[in-house]
Amino acid sequence: MSPYGLFFDQTLAVAQRLLLEQWRQRRGLIFWAVFPAAMMLLFGLVYAHNANMRAGLDAAAAGILIGAALFFSCLGGTVSIIAAERERHTLRRLLASPLHPTAYFLGVVLAQLVLATVQVLMLYSIAWLIGARYHGSLLLGSLILLLSVFAYVGMGFFLGARFARRSEEVVVALSAIGVPLLVLGGTFFPLEIMPAAMQAVAQLNPMLHMNQAFKGVAAYNLGIAELRFELVFLCVFCVISLALGLRSYQHLRIADQKV
Amino acid sequence: MTVALQIDGLFKRFGKQQVLNGFSLQVRRGEVIGLVGPNGCGKSTVLNIICQLLQADTGQVQLMGQPMLAQSAHARTLIGYCAQQTALYPDLFPQENMHFFARLYGVPAAQRNARVDELMERFHLLPYAATRAGQLSGGWLQRLSLAVALVHRPELLVLDEPTVAVDLEARMDLWRLIEGLRDSGTTILLTSHHLAEAERLCNRVALMRGGRVVAEGSVPDLISRVPGQAVAKVQSQDKQAVIQRASELGWSVRQRAGNLGLLLSQPLSLREIVDALDGCKVSAVSVDPVTLEDAYLELIDLKHDSCSCFE
Repeated sequence: MSPYGLFFDQTLAVAQRLLLEQWRQRRGLIFWAVFPAAMMLLFGLVYAHNANMRAGLDAAAAGILIGAALFFSCLGGTVSIIAAERERHTLRRLLASPLHPTAYFLGVVLAQLVLATVQVLMLYSIAWLIGARYHGSLLLGSLILLLSVFAYVGMGFFLGARFARRSEEVVVALSAIGVPLLVLGGTFFPLEIMPAAMQAVAQLNPMLHMNQAFKGVAAYNLGIAELRFELVFLCVFCVISLALGLRSYQHLRIADQKV
Repeated sequence: MTVALQIDGLFKRFGKQQVLNGFSLQVRRGEVIGLVGPNGCGKSTVLNIICQLLQADTGQVQLMGQPMLAQSAHARTLIGYCAQQTALYPDLFPQENMHFFARLYGVPAAQRNARVDELMERFHLLPYAATRAGQLSGGWLQRLSLAVALVHRPELLVLDEPTVAVDLEARMDLWRLIEGLRDSGTTILLTSHHLAEAERLCNRVALMRGGRVVAEGSVPDLISRVPGQAVAKVQSQDKQAVIQRASELGWSVRQRAGNLGLLLSQPLSLREIVDALDGCKVSAVSVDPVTLEDAYLELIDLKHDSCSCFE
């Protein structure tokens, strides 16, 4: 098998294994589906109740997808994957195998992309039923989602490698580090109502740019030209994310030596 | 016999603790060699370095004649690693676990099914083909773990205490499987706490202490290094008298875990021993041939240790 063929097959093997495991633990999948669906329904009820807020429903759907659904499945899911590899000691087998760290990272991205696609379809089906609409380019929206998943997985690798040694620590790591990033990402409050210093810090937060980019396309039909800053930021962050992921994999090797 | 693994002068320090202290070992192709030693003597550290889970501070490891660091990714494909913990995916079926690792190791798709089927049969896992790994008992998990380590036909199989967490019956089963591998020419490096395991499975045994090999050889060779042909284990209310009498008779005396062991230069009957120790208030005597355990205790020099960790 050529090195490229091996790399490709390793990536697919990791993704397929993760999806198969997800499928076998269907309870987890149900929770991941229920959470964004419930959020969308609740937001839908609130927006429908206030006539002057109805216009914001399209943006709310986009925000829930990025800030709730993908945050928990792609970021939280990746932290869980790393913690589980450690707990089950499979990490040692992986580290002793010729699995390329990038293939492992991309395998996780691929698996999370499949889950994200299902979430997008499910969430937008509910959103459509309660009156929200997607206005922009599907291709651009897909690109932003791809970049978002990539960025979330990179952050998940970092949090998982550094802060979540056991599965019990996954929630702690997500709550302590992930949720503040959500707040700074404009998921709960618009950026404009934050103090200037917070706004400046928020500009460094990839979640803000994911939110703004996807809301821009989905709710306001913005194109590449209007979103170029967010897109460039996300592309750069994806490169950083890959580096972060690979470095975190290396950290796992070092941390595993100390166990 | 060609050399599969050549290790020279490994040193490894964790903080203030010097875990490996000039460890050297040669493993020839087709042989099973056991690393035996007390807890913390560096057995697992050696395996971790061989499997590239750890880097030595200094020293050299050559696998199949090539320096390990220079062929990192390739070297991994030559080794099959079976850790102390079974390290499997609990939600996957046995064959799915094997398929996954076969893909990571680059086993061609055309050969993968046949190889997995072969291992399922060889390790008697077929009745559990529809059972998730997480639902298998400890012994079957360890079997599966061993099968996974072999899925890519490694040149060297590294087993870190392969029977440490299984019951006696499962241990015997695993021993039979490892014997089968040995008889088919698989090169195996294993660590063990069970001297009986090393005695039964290994062509050669390396006794470790303080991060280095203190003695190595075949089991008969190690036993022959004990200055005696039999060991008399003696219980007495007057140990000093026994020690004095034994030295008068020219027998070496070993005191371990409160018991006296007398290394006899020639096999004697119980009657002869009791007669020889007349007046030493002997309450019980047994005579056994020298075993690997005696060789271990003799060669590794545990006399200052408060306990030994062997069964």
